[in-house]
Amino acid sequence: MVTFIIRRLLLVPVLLFGVTVLIFAMLQLLSPIERSALYVKDFPKNEKAVEGIIRQYGLDRPLYEQYWRWLVGTVDTVNNVRHGGILFGDLGYSRTSSTPVADLIASRFPNTLDLTLWAIGPVIFVGIWLGVQAAVHQNGLIDQAARIFSIIGTSFPTFVFGLLFILIFYATLEWLPPGRLADEYMQVVNSDEFRRYTTLITIDALLNGRFDVFWDALKHMFLPILTLSYISWATFLRVTRSSMLETLRMEYVTTARAKGLSEHDVIYKHAQPNAMIPVVTLAGFSVVGLLGGVVITETVFNYPGIGSAAARAATQLDVVTMLGFALFNGFILIVSNLAVDILYAVVDPRVRLS
Amino acid sequence: MPDLLLDVKGLETQFKTPDGIVHAVNGVSFGLKEGETLGVVGESGCGKSVTMLSVLGLIPSPPGKVTAGEAKFFGQDLLKMSNDEIRHVRGAQISMVFQDPMTSLNPVLTIGRQLEEPLILHIGMTKNQARERAAELLAMVGIPNPKDRLNDYPHQYSGGMRQRVMIAMSLACSPQILIADEPTTALDVTIQAQIMDLVKRLRDELGMAIVWITHDLGVVAGIAQRVLVMYGGFIVEEATVGDLFANPSHPYTIGLLGSLPRIDGKEEGRLYSIDGHPPVLYQKPRSCPFAPRCKWAMEKCWQENPLLTPVSSEHRVACWVDTKTGRAR
Ligand SMILES: Nc1ncnc2c1ncn2[C@@H]1O[C@H](COP(=O)(O)OP(=O)(O)O)[C@@H](O)[C@H]1O
Ligand code: SF4
Ligand SMILES: [Mg+2]
Repeated sequence: MVTFIIRRLLLVPVLLFGVTVLIFAMLQLLSPIERSALYVKDFPKNEKAVEGIIRQYGLDRPLYEQYWRWLVGTVDTVNNVRHGGILFGDLGYSRTSSTPVADLIASRFPNTLDLTLWAIGPVIFVGIWLGVQAAVHQNGLIDQAARIFSIIGTSFPTFVFGLLFILIFYATLEWLPPGRLADEYMQVVNSDEFRRYTTLITIDALLNGRFDVFWDALKHMFLPILTLSYISWATFLRVTRSSMLETLRMEYVTTARAKGLSEHDVIYKHAQPNAMIPVVTLAGFSVVGLLGGVVITETVFNYPGIGSAAARAATQLDVVTMLGFALFNGFILIVSNLAVDILYAVVDPRVRLS
Repeated sequence: MPDLLLDVKGLETQFKTPDGIVHAVNGVSFGLKEGETLGVVGESGCGKSVTMLSVLGLIPSPPGKVTAGEAKFFGQDLLKMSNDEIRHVRGAQISMVFQDPMTSLNPVLTIGRQLEEPLILHIGMTKNQARERAAELLAMVGIPNPKDRLNDYPHQYSGGMRQRVMIAMSLACSPQILIADEPTTALDVTIQAQIMDLVKRLRDELGMAIVWITHDLGVVAGIAQRVLVMYGGFIVEEATVGDLFANPSHPYTIGLLGSLPRIDGKEEGRLYSIDGHPPVLYQKPRSCPFAPRCKWAMEKCWQENPLLTPVSSEHRVACWVDTKTGRAR
């Protein structure tokens, strides 16, 4: 198990290198002048100054040199400060948000992480539970109902549900608001006595003992989570159901019954752990999707996560911000893949011990 | 008949399939005496597995259903038991070993965990007691370093060793009956012989009755005292092993014997081997189900299905023709 994890960990730098090369290659689609905008807050009007930036940052140098510079930046030895360098967290300056891209990610990602944290249960575990129930009651009422219900979920675009939910729960019933927090609670969170231990609002609220803030944050996430769950249940249901049906036909399930185990133990102790193996991949992709920011859902509910920021950058052709997000998503993908591989090893001894 | 451990009468099992209802078992009756080993022989698809699975209530339902019959075990009808009642028979008093040891153990649970389960469930052992007993059971079936190997997973065992584990697991609660459904078919010949020796040794030590299912009459000769020959979901011949080999009476049995390789390797001893395959019966047959493949078949065979009738005290046959003389009985 340990060697397995170490082997996977050694792969991470290689993959990261691949991602940076890929994104660097995308950068080359821009002209040196466009790229020079990466490095400055106020893009100069005068041509001389632009050329100065190009020369200063070596944007006319050979590719490998530029790549290296892009990675580590340059050190101004006089003032002893570093300019640029994605390895040091300088992802450029976001025009649309008027902050460095790294700061934008740092301020938005905790919200996305918070949403992901609370969405995993409803999206993944409820989805799996539905699939298992459908398989156990194959072709029964529960199976049919779950299938029809979830097929509706995948057949409409996300924003349809988003708008529908807003119409019902916000506009008509006035139960659940969009956004992140009510203004009064936002003030609490930004005040000095509210300590930001984790930067996740729900967790920090609990740690500060502010259950009112916690509840308000949950209320704001409820509709996005409902939307995300509903659109992903069909996939989880389908994969889990078919995997579970296949597993229930296996001979070791008959063995388990022949031993005298109860049907409950046969299903949940013998069949389900095996049926989960293909579901792990799907769950991994699902978490990656959530962490990378759910663009449409966040936008519809005006939720200030990575996704809505990316949407704004994209609609305003803010290339620097987009590339920063791409790099960040690549990073998340690699880390999540590692997590999925480890999870595979946890659920399947044949992987763990090979 | 005195002291029958298991007494099955008129068992019928059917499967609902898209092509129609498959009549897999069509009125099977047999008894199993205490401590005896009963061989059940027939080609693949003759209803051997379904018969035994039906007795234990292990037929997948849907599509399967036991539609008639009884199976008396200590005075109780297994077929009428509720799910919860029969659970306490399975693995405790009657246990089963399956054909393919590669698929009959759960790949994500340790061998130890799988061995402990019936001990905890049926005997009420604690986890620690069960673990100790599990190691003893592994030792009993000849697995070296049993204590260490409890923590292994099935894929770390060879096929022969997995079948030993299955046997250990099935004998964990000292059952009165062990049903072995082609336990050596998936193994190569030397391992096959080892497993048979193991079962014979354990039978002598523990004294359980065995139902040994196989499609190979040669295997039956080595382990059973009595044999049922099945065809098309019917028992077509029943005899002691000696009698069956000396006086095979049903054309199907003769065919099965004829297709056995002779020990001296000579071809001339082969009687004949049967062409074709066992039928999948979508209707309860009114003719003899073997008639399409039978070289003795006469007109009556196509009109009426022969019942299993005694030809001597311990020998019963379902055939219209006396194969010794070639004339109708
Ligand atoms: N799950 C099932 N669904 C439909 N038909 C089945 C099923 N299981 C067994 N059968 C049918 O029952 C008959 C007997 O099968 P089986 O008892 O497994 O034969 P064998 O003698 O090889 O053990 C076969 O015709 C088979 O097609
Ligand atoms: S009854 Fe007729 S067809 Fe059937 S086995 Fe006997 S001789 Fe052959
Ligand atoms: Mg079989």
